[in-house]
Formats: sequence, structure tokens, C-alpha cells
Amino acid sequence: MHFKIAWRMFWRELRKGELWIIAFALVLAVVTVVSLTGITESVRSALMQRSSSFMAADKVLRSPLPFNSAYFDTAAQLQLKSARQMQFNTMVFADDVMQLVSVKAVSAEYPLRGKLVLKATDKIVELTPGHVYVEKRVMQLLQLDIGDKLSIGATELILGGVIDQEPDAPTAGFTGQPRILMHINDVAATQVVQPGSQINYRYLFAGTETQLKQLQTSLEAKLTPSDRWQQVDRSSSIGSALDRAEKFLLLAGLLGIVLAACASAVAATRYSERHRMAVAVIKALGMTERQTKLLYFSQLLLITMLSMIIGLILGQLACFGAQFLIEKWVPDFVPVFSARPLLIGIATAFICSMLFALRPVLRLAEVPSLEVLRQGAPSVRLDVVHLITGAVAVFGLMWMFSQDWVTSALLFIGCAIFAGVLLLLAALLVRIVKPVAAGQSSALQLALANLRRRLWANSFQLITFSQAIFLTLLLYFIRVELIGQWQAQVPANAPNHFMVNINDQQKLELTTVLQQQQLSAGKFYPMISGRILSVNGEMLQEPEMPDSAENGQKGQQTKNDNKRQGFGRELNLTWLSELPTNNQLTSGKWFTAESRAEVSVEARSAERMKLTLGDKMALSIGGQEVTATVTSFRKVDWNSLQPNFFVILSPDLMVDFPANYMTAVHIPAERADLLNEVARQFPTVSVISVSAILTQINEIIAQVSVALSVIMVLVFAAAVLVLIAQVQASLDQREQEIAILRTLGATKAFLLKAVVYEYLVLGLLAGGFATVLVEALLSVLQVRLFELPFQLHPMLWWMGPTLGAVIIVSLAMVQLRGLLNMPSAVLLRRALHA
Amino acid sequence: MNELPSVFIETRNLQKTVQLPSSSLTILTDINLTINRGQSVAIVGASGSGKSTLLGILAGLDQATQGEVFLAGQALHQMSDDERAALRAKKVGFVFQSFLLLPALTALENVTLPAELAGLKDARAKGLALLEQVGLAERADFFPAQLSGGEQQRVAIARAFITKPEILFADEPSANLDANTGEMVENLLFDLNQQQGTTLVLVTHKASLAERCQAQWVMQSGRLTLSTDSGAKHAL
Repeated sequence: MHFKIAWRMFWRELRKGELWIIAFALVLAVVTVVSLTGITESVRSALMQRSSSFMAADKVLRSPLPFNSAYFDTAAQLQLKSARQMQFNTMVFADDVMQLVSVKAVSAEYPLRGKLVLKATDKIVELTPGHVYVEKRVMQLLQLDIGDKLSIGATELILGGVIDQEPDAPTAGFTGQPRILMHINDVAATQVVQPGSQINYRYLFAGTETQLKQLQTSLEAKLTPSDRWQQVDRSSSIGSALDRAEKFLLLAGLLGIVLAACASAVAATRYSERHRMAVAVIKALGMTERQTKLLYFSQLLLITMLSMIIGLILGQLACFGAQFLIEKWVPDFVPVFSARPLLIGIATAFICSMLFALRPVLRLAEVPSLEVLRQGAPSVRLDVVHLITGAVAVFGLMWMFSQDWVTSALLFIGCAIFAGVLLLLAALLVRIVKPVAAGQSSALQLALANLRRRLWANSFQLITFSQAIFLTLLLYFIRVELIGQWQAQVPANAPNHFMVNINDQQKLELTTVLQQQQLSAGKFYPMISGRILSVNGEMLQEPEMPDSAENGQKGQQTKNDNKRQGFGRELNLTWLSELPTNNQLTSGKWFTAESRAEVSVEARSAERMKLTLGDKMALSIGGQEVTATVTSFRKVDWNSLQPNFFVILSPDLMVDFPANYMTAVHIPAERADLLNEVARQFPTVSVISVSAILTQINEIIAQVSVALSVIMVLVFAAAVLVLIAQVQASLDQREQEIAILRTLGATKAFLLKAVVYEYLVLGLLAGGFATVLVEALLSVLQVRLFELPFQLHPMLWWMGPTLGAVIIVSLAMVQLRGLLNMPSAVLLRRALHA
Repeated sequence: MNELPSVFIETRNLQKTVQLPSSSLTILTDINLTINRGQSVAIVGASGSGKSTLLGILAGLDQATQGEVFLAGQALHQMSDDERAALRAKKVGFVFQSFLLLPALTALENVTLPAELAGLKDARAKGLALLEQVGLAERADFFPAQLSGGEQQRVAIARAFITKPEILFADEPSANLDANTGEMVENLLFDLNQQQGTTLVLVTHKASLAERCQAQWVMQSGRLTLSTDSGAKHAL
């Protein structure tokens, strides 16, 4: 029987609009969670699939030792796909022309991820034994046509076509040799693989994350110290872009959900206040408190279920939409249906309604039936239990969404401090208003007097207003400013090719060639290979982890925390008199004209080598031993895609060494032929392409921007919802006062002005608070998360207060007009019966 | 069949005091009142004299600070909130000054609500019949906001009678209405009361309305005195 009443009341209340704000808030929270989790998962999966395609596999094991079939057996047992790949440099001959090339020999299964497109006279062909496929420039270098023969070692192979698209085209660290692709079965016939040959063997694997983890565990004991894993790498440029994208979306999503949850709490509180009399009546008519609780609980449950279903459907539709767009971006993208977003959506709906909205609804049942005769004032006191359940819900949502205790805790503490500071500021400001608010003769004085009178109510309102504006502004600035700054780091004409091994003479000639093509070379950095031998006479230990450019894992590791960790390989050293622009000194002093035998070291490497200023570093350069004093540490922006060096020496040290230079240059894709020109004119110069990395980073940024725009719309909707709920609730409190003032003769214009002033002050204050906090948080995000230089946002300072004032006053006016247009008698009756 | 006891409400030395921040305020002092089954009683008095407080205690909405209250032979002062609510659902009807219809429900749904709460069958048919009696059958599906004040109070009267309550409490039932509408509502209230033989306790400061009751009690500064009695047993 009670459920029947609850069901009827639910539909009636829904039709009358009483439950809309709660319903919208819950729908919005669920849509945000489902779409965001779903879209993030899809974007992550697409990025991973795309990143995997850059390696032609999900995981790669590199080894200098010949293939161990046991590894492949283990992979087969785990139902992983696998492929073999060998890489080596060799000379190829075509008639009397010879060329040093980089050969990649692959098995038929290659590539496991991404697409290999080989073309012969505009037809797509397949990799077949007996044939080789080359980079276009090889044909020019060797003066070959398709169908011609070329010799590799002891065998002759036919030029089958050109590599049009290759998933794992070399990026950083490539030697710059022209590349040739051949079938692995032909390698034996070439006889180039001899004992001692420098061959890079690669085991390519593809499968699920779990399978790959199992593989790594299973092979752990079998791997040799020289075997190294390689996978989508979090510290490389692509990896860190991916990481930032995830952090970004996570942060943005949380904001929307917290706002929507607040809207549901405010709306539920308002709903409760408006239903006090209804509860008193049904209790007077004989309903017990327990039955009343059940009645309203059922209503909340029904609205939760309805909102949840709508939210899940809309959220899933958004995911399908996103997957559709991603498919355009990543053609081979395989959308993976995951129940996780839906489960999180269901959990969010219940967390929001049960922990945010339930408490005021249940407290409603405590309204005494006596109120039918003597209306009591609704309690404006702080409900500690509601505060605690709300806090638990916020934390629960943060954790559920981030799966990370630290992030959740930090965000939660941040929110708590935010609320505390706002409460204090609001209380302080409203008190300051006191002298101005003496009297009610003008609309402004009445407004200020009202602000003061409703001190606590206004303080809470200010928190909600500020929070909504804060989140909207924050997201807008993250979307526009930070992404903009981030994008600016990788400008459209960012260098996409490094040219190395340039001698002194070639510097000028190369500059001329580039200038003829309306291209400009960047700064020329002198470069030489060298190895760090010891620090203060103490030998360095082999590295535990390889450097950040090749973040793999060794099969077997030896660990000794007390020893200085070296690089375990030769480094590219440079010597400069000026500090590079994208470097920042963290300690010590940069070289002066008087500097003698000094060295500046990248800060993280210095930590690994346990260096302190003044240490003596011994290096082996060109067979000679050189000793230098460590005089500074530098922070290097590895994301700048400019030439960067771990070790920079003072110029005096290198006077006697032959100078070789490197530079970075932007060569548009349509001018790729220029590379051949460079190769012809400067045969000793090697070109390293980083355009693939750049393209991918730009794609990630573009994806993040689109995703953020969607989230921004959702967060803005949530913010407006909170504001509507809050303005509605606060106008309810003002309704009686307006009715009395109207009856006493106050004009509509006077009352409108008074309320507009009141909300204008609240809007300006909320916008002001939000601005200060957004600026503070942006500076932290800028410096810490995005590793960008600190920068103030002048636009924010007028946008915040304006946005606050305009939105809040507009919402208040829209809702107030209805009240003011009512005849005084109706208004008074409403107020008296409320 | 046992004959029902004739005394329906009885109070003994009733007192109501409310605690203020620095003092206490006595609203009702030593109230001794007896109302017989089927009797109509008016409680009159100035605003703030304690009429509504007494009504609240008699109806089981509130509790006295001291003294005893018996409704239909049951000791209200010893009952919990829920027990009193259950008693109200079975035996008590209300008509309030400001109608207090639930805005989300239609006129018919407002009328049938107490019947549904009491678990009565045919609530809808009974509700429609009562709306017919109060002249609002054609407005059964109207919401309170679509009805005039007089119509709302007629719906409230229909609601009060749907469970055939043994006692009806009316708090200033015509105070919010104009004279004509007020009179019509009063007639309706007394007609239905007579038809159903309900005990009626009416709080009013309208002399003409009070005079229609069999007994009139005057409330003055928290004390109750009998003014007119045409059949009530009382003890002062």
C-alpha cells in the first residue's frame, strides 16, 4: 500500500518538477562517469593500440643473442601472438653502386600491431621471400627500379617495392641509414650473420595485458642479462603525453561528478524543506515515522533508478559516439566493450543519492506532525551527519574514479581546505558589510542587510557558488590555456629531423642548402661520443634501468643502492659557452669565459651518479682521458624535442678535439625528397626523423582537447545545475520576506533591485574567490603536472567575477520574475501556506 | 454487542510548559475536560491563549508536560509517537485552517490518502462519493493549486470523513475563507458530522460557528472554562 502511495507521489512530484533537479543531477553524474570512463578507456585503448603499432607489437623483447625458441613456446602456451625481427647494418650492392643500409628482417606474422603497406607500381603487395622492400630514397641512392636485383652479402634479392607505411618506423636513436625490409627466411642465405656480428634480435608479442604480464613473469628466470623488454613507455615523449592525457581526463571528470553530487544534495535539501508540511500532514493522518521514511526513501530510490537508467543509456551513447570518432582517427581501432563504466555509473548513482541526498530526505520524516497546527522553522543548522556522509561520498567517488589513494587523498584535502578557506572568507566579508548595511531604505542597504542576516546560509551558498564557478573556470583555463601552452611546446614547425655528424665545413654548406629550400637550420651543437669512467676515482656501476629514451627493463638485474649508477654506454657530449634555452640550472654556476675543465650534468643523471658540486668526473673521449669538475646541475626539458645533452663540458676542454655538430630542422612532409639531397651532398651526415613522435603527440593533444571539451560541457551543465538548485533554495527562503515587503508597499522595481544587488554581491564574491583559487591551482598544475613555466592569467581576473555575477544574477532574476509577477494576495497566501 | 462508553475524550490535570532559553513558559494549566461521543464542542479564545496547543494534545499530535489524556478509552499520554499515529489513522479526522492538501496529489488522491493509509478497501469509490457529497465530483482530477480556497477546504472535509473517523478535529476551518464560502464549508462540516455521528472538536474564535456546537469552552491564558453546555459532562 505504501509503495503504491510512493509510486503515485513519485510520478506526481516528477510531473510537477519537484524532483527534476535531483534527477538531472543524478543523470548528469552518471552520464559524466559513464561517458568519461568509457571515453577514457576507449582513448587509452586507442592510444595504446596506436602506440603499440609504433612498435608493431604490444611488447618487444630485445636481445643481442640469437632467438631462443623457448621464449616463443612460452608465448604460444599463453596464446599470445608472436613474430620475429632482426635488425642489422650491412652494405648492399646494385651494379657498381654500394650503400650502407639498415636491414630489418621480419617473419610472416609481422606486424602484430599496425599496418605494413608495401607498394609496387602503385599496387599493394605482400612481403615475400626473395624480395626486398626499401625506403624510397634507397631507390634513388642505388639508382634502382622495381624488379631490379641487388646483392646483400652472398645472395641476390629482387627489389619488390617501396615501403609506404611501416608501423615501427625508427624514431629516436636511429642511425639514419637508409632502410631495407626483407623476409627473415632469406637472412641465412646472405651469410651476413656471423659469430660476433652486431645483430639486434627482437621478439614481438601481442595479446591482452594479463597475458603479457604472465609472459614477463614466466620468462623472468630464463632471460639473460642482455635481454631487455620494451613496451609502450611512460617516460618517453609519447608515454608521458599519454600519461598527462589520462591525468587530465581524470581530474576533469572528478570535478564534474563532485559538482553534480553537490547539486543533488542541495536539491534534496530544498526538496525536504518544501515537503515539511506534506510530511506533517501525512503523519497527522496516521502515518508513522518509519512508514514516512520508507515512503520518501522509496521515492528517492525510484528517482535514483530512473536517473541511473537514463544516465547509463546517455553515457553509453556518448561512448559509442566517441568510439565512432576514434575509429576515424585510428582506422584499425577495435572498440572493446567494457562493463566497468556501467558498473561505475550504477555505483555513482547510488553513492550520490544515498550519501548526498538520502540524509535530508530521511530527516524529513522527523518533522513533527504538530507542524500542521504550528509551523516550525526549518533548521538551518549544520547537519554534521550530512556533512560526513557527503565527505565520505566525495572521497568514495574520487577513489572509485582514480583507483589511486594518493590522488584521492590530495584532491579531498584540497577540497576540504577550499571549503574551509571559503567559509572563513565568506564569514569575514559578510561581517565587514555590517556598517554599510545599517538601514533598509535603499535597495542596496536592504540587500546588504539581508546578506548579513543570513550569514551562515550565505556562507554555504557562497561555497557552492564559488565551487561551481571555480570548476568551470579551472576547466576552461586548463582546456584553453594549459593545453594551448602545452601545444605551443610542440609548434607546427617544431624540428622533426635531427642531423648529426656534421663537420665544421659542412655547417655552412648545409645552412646554405637549407636556406635555398627556404628552410632554416637550428643552432649547431658540437658533439662527440664519450664515456663517463669514474667520479672522484670511483668506478660507476652498470645502470639498473636504461636511460629515459629507451625505458626497457633488463631481464636480470643487480641492485646496489649505495653505488653510483652510470649510463653503461657512450654518451653524446657537447661543449657550450651558453646555457641552452630549454635548460634550467638547479644548482651551481654556468661556465664563464674563465672556466677551465668544468662539466655541467643533467639533474636526474647527477642524482643517479650521486654527484655533488665539486666532484671530479673522469671521461674517456676519443681514447683520451679527460677530467672535469662538476660545477652545475641542469633541469632539461626532454619534451622540447630540441637537442638535449646529459653532459655539457666547458669549451676549453674540447679545443684539441675534432668538432662534429648536430642540428634540428623542420622539414615538411611534402619536402621529404630534400633528405635525399642532403644524403647525396653530405654522405657522412646522418638524419634522424622524429616526425612520427611529433605526429603522435599532436594527435594525443588533439584527442585530449576534444575529450576535455566534452567534459567541460558536462561540468558546466553540472555547475549551472548546482547554481539553479542553490538559487531556488535561497529564493524559497526569501519568498516570505518578498511577500511581506510587497504587502507593505515595496515596489516590484525596489524588490528586484534589492535581490539583484544581493545576488550580485554573492556572484562577485563567489567569482572573486574562485578566481584566486583557480589562479593558485593553475600555477601548481602548470609547474608540477605540466612542467610548464609559471605564468599569471590576467583574463581570469575579470572573467571570474563577471561570470559569477552574470550567471548568478541571471538565474536569480529568471526565478524571481515569476514571484514578483504574482499578485500580492497570491504571493502572501503562498508565503503563509508554505 | 457491548455499548460503547459515552465519554470519548477526557483530560486530567493537563499541563503544557515549553522551555525557553532562560525561562519556561506555561501554555496550558490544569486542564480537565470531558467530551462525550458524538458531541460537538467548540474551544474559543483569543490568539495565543493555547487553543491550538490543546487541540494538538487532544488529537495526539503533541504531548502534555503533565497530566493524563484519554481518547476513545486509550491513554494517549502513555503511547509512543507511532502508537498515537496508528490511533489517529483509525479514529481521527482533521480539518485545518489552511486546508493542507498535498500539492502533488489530485483532489481525489488527497481524499483517498487517509483511507489508503488505514488500509481501507474501495478507497477510490468512497473518495468519489465524498467528493460528490461536497459538490466537487467533477474536479476529482484537479490539483489543489487549480482549486479555489473554498474548494480546497471542501476537499479537506471530504478527506477528513473518508475513514469515518470517530472524532474530527477542526482548527479554524473557515478562517481563511470569505463569509459566504466559509458558511458553506461550515454547513458541510456540520452536515457530514451529523450524518456520520462523529464527535467534533472545533477550535475557532468565530462566535457564530462556536454557537452551532453543543458545548463551548473558553480558553483564557492557558486555562479552560465552560461557557455553554447543552449536554456535556465536565469537570473543572
